[in-house]
Parts: sequence; C-alpha cells; structure tokens
Amino acid sequence: MADVPARLPAPSPPLPAGWTEHTAPSGHVYYFNKEIKKSTYTRPVAIATPPPAPAPLPPPPASLPARLPASLGANSSYADHNDPLHQQDNSNAHDPKRKIEDLIFGGAQNLYNNRRPDHARGGHQGGARGGQNNFSDRTRQPKDRPKHRHDIPNCAPWILVRTKLGRRFVWNKDTNESFWKFPPDVMKAVVEFDRIEREKRERKERGEPSDAEEDDAIADIESGLAAAEEDVEIVEVDGEEGMDEEEEYEEVEVTDDEGEEGSHAHKRQRTEEPTAEQPGEDDDLAWQLAQMEEMEGMEGDYAEEKFYEEEPPLSEEDCKALFKELLDDTHTNPYTPWDKVLEAGALYNDDRYKALANMKARKECFDEWSRNKMVYLKEQKARQQKLDPRIPYLALLDRYATPKLYWPEFRRKYKKEPELKDGKLPDKEKEKLYREHIKRIGMRSSELKADLTALLKAQPLAALNLATTLDTLPASILTDLRYISLSPLTREPLVETYISTLPPAPEGAAASAEEEVEAAKKREERTRREKALAERERRVQEEKRKQERDLAYGKGRLREEEMEIERAMKVGKGGLKAHLGAEE
Amino acid sequence: MPPVRTARASKKAPPEGFDDIEDTLLEFAAAMKDAENASQDGKKKYEMTWPIFQITHQRSRYIYDMYYEKEAISKQLYDWLLKNGYADAMLIAKWKKQGYEKLCCTRCIQTKETNFRSTCICRVPKETLKEGQEVQCVNCGCRGCASSD
Repeated sequence: MADVPARLPAPSPPLPAGWTEHTAPSGHVYYFNKEIKKSTYTRPVAIATPPPAPAPLPPPPASLPARLPASLGANSSYADHNDPLHQQDNSNAHDPKRKIEDLIFGGAQNLYNNRRPDHARGGHQGGARGGQNNFSDRTRQPKDRPKHRHDIPNCAPWILVRTKLGRRFVWNKDTNESFWKFPPDVMKAVVEFDRIEREKRERKERGEPSDAEEDDAIADIESGLAAAEEDVEIVEVDGEEGMDEEEEYEEVEVTDDEGEEGSHAHKRQRTEEPTAEQPGEDDDLAWQLAQMEEMEGMEGDYAEEKFYEEEPPLSEEDCKALFKELLDDTHTNPYTPWDKVLEAGALYNDDRYKALANMKARKECFDEWSRNKMVYLKEQKARQQKLDPRIPYLALLDRYATPKLYWPEFRRKYKKEPELKDGKLPDKEKEKLYREHIKRIGMRSSELKADLTALLKAQPLAALNLATTLDTLPASILTDLRYISLSPLTREPLVETYISTLPPAPEGAAASAEEEVEAAKKREERTRREKALAERERRVQEEKRKQERDLAYGKGRLREEEMEIERAMKVGKGGLKAHLGAEE
Repeated sequence: MPPVRTARASKKAPPEGFDDIEDTLLEFAAAMKDAENASQDGKKKYEMTWPIFQITHQRSRYIYDMYYEKEAISKQLYDWLLKNGYADAMLIAKWKKQGYEKLCCTRCIQTKETNFRSTCICRVPKETLKEGQEVQCVNCGCRGCASSD
C-alpha cells in the first residue's frame, strides 16, 4: 500500500525585517523585534512594505511553496518552477476579480475539475470537488508522488508515470529525463497507449476479465528516481500546440524563475491551455463538505478501507491471552507481586503490553494468570516425583563417611556441605543413617555383595532394565544403604553386569499424540493473535498519523485565516478599488 | 539443666512451597535491611520509621494475597510464615474485617493514642476530606487507606 501523503503544515510567511522568532520556555512561540524592543505572541506580518514586485496583492499565503511534487525526486531544482499546478491559472490574469479568487483559491483546482472522469483511481477526489470552491487546494497541497507506471508501447525507454494526483509525465529510463510535456514522438505513442487502455477499460466494464494489473513496480520507479535524484532534470520542451483537446495531454511550459524565490510571492506561469471556468461564488457549507470528502478520499486508499472491514477484531479474550503470553515469555515468576513485576520493567518493551487498555485490566489479567500458573506449577510438582532428600545425603556419605569419625565429628567436619545443612532431612535421621552406614562398612565384602544383588533383584523390571545406566538408577536403589555400603570401585562393575543381563524395558509409555495436537493448536492460536495485535498496532499508528496531519493542517489553515483577516483589515484608506488599481 | 535452645535450633524447616516465595521474601528482607541502614539525615523524627512500616505492610500484604486471594500457599506454610514473623498477624486480622481492607498499619486505628480519641487522618475517606487536601499520616506515611478510596 502506498504511503498516505503527508499533509504539509502551511509554513509561516516570512517575518518582516527586524523581527525574530523565539520559543518561550512554555513552548509558545513569540516574536521579538530588536530595534523597537518589543515582543509579541501574534506573528507580525509585513504590511508597511509592499512587495517590490508587481504582485497583485500581499504575498499569497503560505502553503504555496509547499506544493512540491516531492517524491518525483524531491529535487528542489525543479520543484519550484516546474510545478504544473502553478502554471495553470493565468488565463484570467486580466480579470481582477478572478485574480483575487485565484490568489485565494490557488487556482490549482482547474486541473482536477476537467480531468477527473478519466481516472479510475483518483476519481473519488474530483467528483466531490468538481465545481466547488477550491479553497482547500490552496491550503493543503498534498505531496504528489508516482503512483502507476506504464511502459509505453513502441516507445522503448519511455515510461508513462501517473502520479497520485492523477497527473502524468513521461520518464526516460535510459537518460533519466522526465517531462511533464510529452515530446512529439512520445506523444503519439501515449495517444496510442491511451486508446488501448480505454478499450481495455470498456472491455472490463462489459464484464470481461482483464489481464493487466495496474499496480506494478511503483517501488521500482521510485527507487530509480531517488537514485537519480541529483541528475533528474526536467527539460523544457516545446510541444506541439493543440495536439489533443484532452486534458491528459496537458502541456506545461517550464521556465526558470529562481530569482523570485526570495520574495515568496509565487509568480504564476502561463500555460497554453485555457483553464476551466472557475466558479465565482463560494458557498461555505458546500466547501466544507467538499473538503471533508476530499480528506477522506486522501486518507483512504481503497485497499486500506477494505482492510478495515476485513480485519478480524481482537476480542477481549485475545487481548488477555496476548498479555498472558507476554508474561509467559518473559518468564515472570507467578509468585512475584504485581508491582515488583512492573518495577522489573521487562514488560514495557513488548507490544503485547499494550494489548490491554489500562493498568487495572493488566493487574486483573496478571492475577488470573498467576493463579492459573501456580495451580499448574503445583500440579507439575506433584506429578514430578519428589527428589528424596536422602539421595544426596547418602551420596555424601558414600563420598566422605569413614569409620574413623564419630557422628558429631563428621557433622562438624562437613557442616558446610549443603546436604548436611538441608533441613528437609531431620538431624536424627541423618545421624541414624550415618551410624548404620559406618556399621555396614565394617562388614565382610561378600555379605555386602550378596546384599547388593538382593537389592537389585528386588527391583521391578519397569524401574531397572537394560536401558538403565548408572546415572539413571531408580530412587529405590539410591536411597538404600545397601547400595552405598560397597565402595564404588567394586560396586559399579557389579551393577553394570547385572543390568546387562536384564531384558529391555517393557512397552508402556506411548507418546501422547493428543497432547501434541493440543500443543499445535495452541501455537496456531497464538500466531493468529500476535498477527492481529500487529495489525491493530499498525492501524493505531495510521490513525495517529492521520490525526497529526489533520492537526497540522488545521493549524495551518487557522493561521492563514488569521492572516487573511489581518490583510483584510489592512486595506488602506483608498479602499479596495484603489488598491487593485495600483497593482494593475 | 535443660539444653539451651538457640533460635536456630528451635526453628523448624519451612513447610512445602516455601522455596516458591522465598525469592520474593528475600527481596523484602533486603529492602528492609536497606531501609534500616538508610541515613536519617534531613528527615523528620517521625518520618524515620515510615519505610519500615511500608515494607512490613507490603510483605504482609503479599503473604495475605498468596494465602487468601490466590490460594497459592498451604495453611502450614502460612502459619509458619506468621510464626516466623514474615507477616504481621494482627494487621492481617484487621484486613479480614469490613472497612479495614486496606488498613496501612494497626497504629492508625489506635484511638487511645490520639488526643481526640479518633483514628488517624489516613483513615478518612477522600470524599470527606476537603477539596484538594493532601494528607500523609505521621505514623506510617500513609496517604489514605479508607476502603472506599
């Protein structure tokens, strides 16, 4: 989806000499005049000095310089003077009334008015606007950008590019030149191309399927243009006059007017073509409606709107599940209190943190999650056989116990060992085991061997079988004193040989296919939710951007309106007529 | 002569499930130690004990939640924790009563210790206070613990 063009906030007009702009600590912008030592919050406008150029009125407001066809290469060298929008409306230069209107309304509208019905894609803008007041176009010139690109048949390096606003220009892939005005040979090819397109469209309307996909390789062209940013040059070409009466072949004369840039008063250039009739009166309500519609049109690419409808809503359950997954993923300890979890700060960086709207919901979700998790952990623990505290203790005895030490001596000597410190095995038990063990160490080894074999034989096949190794002996053996009575050197070969005589483990533990299915389902759910969250995030961003743009736009408009009022107030003593007369 | 029972020797091993909450309790213990050792410079005399009260409150609340709200620890463990001073049994006893669900400390409801035989200012519900009045009680630094807040 193409980016929605950023609506430029109208830049402020230049300050009169002596005034400087500052930002107060509170964030307000104020203006200060060094000479008269005055500061003000209202932006001073140059009124005392009328512009030296024979501009008809004080500088046309603000947004005009902003209307660069920016993404066409964002090249300032042609941005100012090659903009067809500027060059449209001179046909009525001699009509003072029209002139004022043009100033106010920017005069750019004409372009759209006539051309609309031809465009499949841009049509939604023009329909709403045509014949209406054009104010909105002056205040907000959306950035233009290449939208579609078509190879022109039989005209090899040339490519026809249609911009977002529906304007068209040709681009030479090889020499990297672009023209608003089609060179004669290209013109013929374009006419031919249009005919084909029209036919295709008609066919489509009749219901036949079309094979051509419109959206192709915009990125390609953009990158190509961006790469050649510096070299792009729009060359002035003299086109054939009256080639076609259709607006699509509009021709634009490109002139240099760099000298004017400082004055900010945009000279409007003459075009060869007569512009459409500009509606004389402006109806405020109608204008507002048109503007609203237009804004909607600008925002909503069709794909996007469709997407809104299709978007599966993220239900509350999903949000909760997302948050719980986040808790799972960050390995949060369910036994931690909620504020400690927040303090740890591991949650904030994840998008899923924002799945839930507020802190209360999060806390509730956390409580629920931790409760479930604790139950789950408890179950896990219950299922997992408890590690007998005697196992490590007996291993310790196996390592250190000697008949030379009495129990108190042994305890004192090894009191740092965790096995001895372990509180789960009572001291009495420890002492008993120690004494027993020492007693058994003194016995004859043949007896001990017989005891060990008896112990091993007593084990069921499920616990002790061919698959068992010395490391995975069952707990019933490890907790028995008879096992450690023999020294490891003699014991281990004995146990190994015994194990090797055993049959393999009986088949019993079938892999639980059902559990696997369950897990797969869970995973799937999870990916779905995550995707939905990402989508939502994206939409929110979109919304935010839109709002920001609207805000900036509104501010710009407000400022301009203020300026207009100010201008209106400042019509001199001579009145409007004298004013106009002087300019003429 | 009977054997001298040291505190360590008389201590029974904690019941099952203690290791689950042990980390959190250690954190509280560390916080408590920090609060005890923090410098008292520039603090009012009555302010000095506030952090102690607060940490005690938090820890008691944690154990209370674990046992009564989340039912994550066993009765044995809960009793053991109370016996070993991890939570304030008197405070928890108050929390179980209606109207005292959020009580900050037992001192704040001791009417006998105050001049006008009343509870602490932090027990006053927010809506009863004057508009924009900020309170912080001297006992434990509580900013309001009425159940309706």
